Amino acid sequence: MKKEKVQVRICVGTACFVQGGSDLLLYNDFVDPAIIAECEIEGCSCLEACKVDGEGAPYVMIDGEVHSKVTQEEFARLLTQAVKNA
Amino acid sequence: MLELNNQYTAMKRRIDTEVLKLFFAGKLDELDRLPFTIIPKDRTPNRCCIYKERAIVRYRIMALLGIDIERFDDEMKPLSEYAKEVMQEDPPVLPLLTTISTGCYGCPPDQYRISDACRGCFARPCMANCPKDAIVFINGQAHINEERCIRCGKCMDVCPFHAVVHIPVPCEEACPVGAVKKNEKGVVEIDHKNCISCGRCARSCPFGAIAERSGLIPVLKMLQSGQKVTAMIAPAIEGQFPGTLAQIRASLLKIGFDKVVEVAEGAAVTTEHEADEVVRRKGEGEGYMTTSCCSAYMELVDKHLKFLDERYSRAFSPMIYTSRMCKEQDPDNRTVFIGPCLAKRVEAARRGGVDGVITFSELAAIFMAKGIDVREEEAADLGDTSAFDYCRQFAITHGVADCVLSRVADPASIRVLPINGVDKKTFRLMKSWEKRAPEVDLVEVMCCEGGCIDGPGTIVKPAVAMKLRGGTKAATPVASVKAPL
Repeated sequence: MKKEKVQVRICVGTACFVQGGSDLLLYNDFVDPAIIAECEIEGCSCLEACKVDGEGAPYVMIDGEVHSKVTQEEFARLLTQAVKNA
Repeated sequence: MLELNNQYTAMKRRIDTEVLKLFFAGKLDELDRLPFTIIPKDRTPNRCCIYKERAIVRYRIMALLGIDIERFDDEMKPLSEYAKEVMQEDPPVLPLLTTISTGCYGCPPDQYRISDACRGCFARPCMANCPKDAIVFINGQAHINEERCIRCGKCMDVCPFHAVVHIPVPCEEACPVGAVKKNEKGVVEIDHKNCISCGRCARSCPFGAIAERSGLIPVLKMLQSGQKVTAMIAPAIEGQFPGTLAQIRASLLKIGFDKVVEVAEGAAVTTEHEADEVVRRKGEGEGYMTTSCCSAYMELVDKHLKFLDERYSRAFSPMIYTSRMCKEQDPDNRTVFIGPCLAKRVEAARRGGVDGVITFSELAAIFMAKGIDVREEEAADLGDTSAFDYCRQFAITHGVADCVLSRVADPASIRVLPINGVDKKTFRLMKSWEKRAPEVDLVEVMCCEGGCIDGPGTIVKPAVAMKLRGGTKAATPVASVKAPL
């Protein structure tokens, strides 16, 4: 059976986008291509997470779990981990 | 210059948004509480203590209100009082930049230092190459004699162990014209007579001790008072927000602008003028011509390169043409330029004809405060843009020259020299033109490296903006707008 790809959603709501989320869209420049190949990365509408706690932008959802304050390094790390666990 | 995304920018965005939330709620009288909400008691401070952090938040708010902190800082005066005054009367635009002396770290003077990595080697290239004999060896390690050192950096270049470090003063290093200096107390000061308002210093200080005085409140007052306001969006806006130009337009209409016009439309007029002019000058053997659309460059000519007075194109900037067109069409409308640029405020104040200037990051704060999500907006009709859409390239280095060339009968005959960013080095180069003119026909000057898309008022890194511009394939994550979760 083919392995399910890791589902990655980068929040590109305005608040996330202007607070660093836009940087994550450059994922091709800083994430290992082998890891990217295992993931399905997409921009998505506001995850509404900012309305719960206002200070965690930018948010990223990986396989249903929401992560806050995601930097480029953190993004690469989370993806690697998710691919390993998949 | 600082990387765009850092804790200071994040803090700035947060402060701007919180202030605007209060503004829209009509609660500016609660402004005095804001430094305490933003810097709560249990925060681990990045500065020496939370009290200093709160003080700096207060100054940031003052800068956002447009107050000249250098002259009108009264520590006993509550923010709400300042706000009340600003609501009654718009503060003057100039000077554009203001220093927050309390925030200044008082960096030690620009210096080269030799670190522990020095092995005191036998060859000692540092000593051999120092033009001023400033390197001495003590206990088998190199040291720099500060009195002799002229900070040329040769020792750093030649050390095989990379043991020499350069410790700059970021603001002084960033200023192309030497207008940022430290006073006798070692605290930053701006010489406003020489400042060209490019905003480099404000972007370079890691302590946030230099701030631009915002023109946001006067614009919001216009919108609130029910006046009809036309938003003029700079060509650099594409890629600054998630979503397409049409969605950005829709979002602007939603926050209360009456009309949204692309400055690229005025840029087309600038282009036609410059194309005619460059051909005419070449035909008459007058030598090189420079572009005139960069406001900080025009300040540079005015204050430091007077000899270029007859060299720059007589065409007005796209902002001015666009504003004229808007006022011809709707004489009652006021015009607000929304761009990546701080110096545009200076241009608007000096030349007149434009009623307000705000930056993309200030616009982002409005969107966030109002909870508007650009990419969720129904796209608004952009109308027919085919006459001027090639001028959206004005935002990128070489873009203005390319537009001009596309309007010249024989583009190959025009030799172009782009000045991609005015720093200390390019400023020296431009000064040398007084004695020896560059052998080109068109000099395109952009004060920010990479062009306006890397201006001080931008939100995203130029690399991201480039990917999102023009709906390229790389923009797929954003293109999948209504993708269900």
